[in-house]
Amino acid sequence: MALLPLQGLFSGDFVLVVAPVDDQDPMSTVAQKVAYHAVGKRVAAQDRPMQVSFNGEIVAEDATPATLGMLPMDFVEVSYR
Amino acid sequence: MPRLARSEWYDLTRDMNWTLTYASEEAVWPEDLSNSVGIPMEAWATWDEPYKITYQEYVHNQAGKDAAVFAVNSAVARSQMYENLDKGWQGAILAHYGAIALGEYFAGIAESRMGRFGRAAAWRNMATFGTLDETRHGQMQAYFPYTLLEKEPRADWGLKTLHTQEWGAIAARSLFDDMFTANDAVSTAIQLTFTFETGFTNLQFLGLAADAMDVGDVNFSSLISSIQTDEARHAQQGEPTIKLMLEHGKLDVAQKLIDSIFWRTWHVFSLLTGMSMDYYTPLEHRKHSFKEFMNEFIVKQFSDQFRDFGLERPWYWDTHFLQEMNWYHHACHLGVWTWRPTVWWNPDAGVAPEERDWLEEKYPGWNDTFGKQWDVITDNVRNGHLDRTIPETLPVVCNMCHIPVISPTAFNAGYYTSPAPKIHTHKGRRYIFCGEVCQWVFEQNPARYEGHLNIVDQFLAGMIQPPTLEGALTYMGLSEAERGTDAENYAWAFKGYDAALLTPKAS
Repeated sequence: MALLPLQGLFSGDFVLVVAPVDDQDPMSTVAQKVAYHAVGKRVAAQDRPMQVSFNGEIVAEDATPATLGMLPMDFVEVSYR
Repeated sequence: MPRLARSEWYDLTRDMNWTLTYASEEAVWPEDLSNSVGIPMEAWATWDEPYKITYQEYVHNQAGKDAAVFAVNSAVARSQMYENLDKGWQGAILAHYGAIALGEYFAGIAESRMGRFGRAAAWRNMATFGTLDETRHGQMQAYFPYTLLEKEPRADWGLKTLHTQEWGAIAARSLFDDMFTANDAVSTAIQLTFTFETGFTNLQFLGLAADAMDVGDVNFSSLISSIQTDEARHAQQGEPTIKLMLEHGKLDVAQKLIDSIFWRTWHVFSLLTGMSMDYYTPLEHRKHSFKEFMNEFIVKQFSDQFRDFGLERPWYWDTHFLQEMNWYHHACHLGVWTWRPTVWWNPDAGVAPEERDWLEEKYPGWNDTFGKQWDVITDNVRNGHLDRTIPETLPVVCNMCHIPVISPTAFNAGYYTSPAPKIHTHKGRRYIFCGEVCQWVFEQNPARYEGHLNIVDQFLAGMIQPPTLEGALTYMGLSEAERGTDAENYAWAFKGYDAALLTPKAS
């Protein structure tokens, strides 16, 4: 369990934000932590599931930053499926 | 006593020099401060400035300018002029004073570096006048906000800003230090006097002055247009320096210096002047859009000078610079408004319906990119969810321009193929850049930039305690009373809006 700051973007937002996550968070939680800063604030909320893209690929929901080898300030993009 | 005509003695005095007998050239003009660029001393002696002035003329002219500007200021001080100015406009001038006033003082250091380490006597002479100019500019732009203190306590940021770790202050200091405070005399002449002053300052000091006069802020307008008359004189130091470099086959050195600082300057002006012109200036007083001013002052007038001196336009001119004029400052404004507690003025949202119509007219497609985000923000304001318009984390910040990484905006607008930041590893440390050109600037001279920590680096390094947004605001020097709020208290969200049509939404 370790704090890991990521560069987070929710698709459609205008800026990257510092998104602190835990390296054991499943991607579903990472998605929520990134989305929190944009959805309903600058990007219209939708009732749809979200996905995380890392290094150009959509990653599994149960993957974690630790299993994916994410480093501090790696870039992740969250979007609606 | 008979007096000689100016023409009989001027060349002697402007070009009075030493013949060194007991000190070496290197000792008197060390390379790291002076930078010969490999041009021999006798060639530097041919340096020739277009506009010549004597000290007597200088004192006479400057005294007249000061008398005029301070007369306006003292007349205005007793009036209600400031209180009656548009709230958004008040933000523009507070932002200006904070970002610029002490920067002018630093520029006095730059001029005096050229005044001591310039390799031509005539150049040192001109730079001495430039030192006096910049001292004047620092003093006036610190004094004017001082006269506003009773009406606006945050005018204190005219003096305070560049002493703080506020993010905009970090960006300004980084630019100024690169351009002149930590630069040799020749590089300063190319980067400060030629690139920054001949090109960009006209935007803020003439373009915005025109808007100011329209707004009715005669105080600010007379101040900055008077400042710019000095600029026109001391900015001329670049031209003869570039000419010498051209004659001696060193144009590539000048080109690289220009290419680096043009980009850095573009980003900072886009932030400060872009917001001021397109969002803070009241709609009915906007003489031109920021893009229109940029097209006039930079794309037309300044880029003609490249051709005149045998220089090329920077390599990124078409691929990055021209297209950023369509979106970069809009994203800066959205960011500054969103992160408004982190600035020392009250940002004007500038997105009432008629303002959005103007933005769409001047920047076709604005509503499809920025408008969509402002729609969500506007809805939140109308529904009483102000908490959703205030950020709870830091933006990612570029390690070169120190402005938030707004590359996703370019992607949303179709200019980039990816919203991802540039992540660059250098000596084991990761650096983040907002785009290709900021990374390129870093790569031209990594040793110069590698040690700097941007505000996010400082946060992640534990330098901001507590490591919360509140801790960050305090770290930036912003007490609760000093933090920015919406200039109009959100009235813009209700203009032309019929509350009866509001459909209650589940919260």
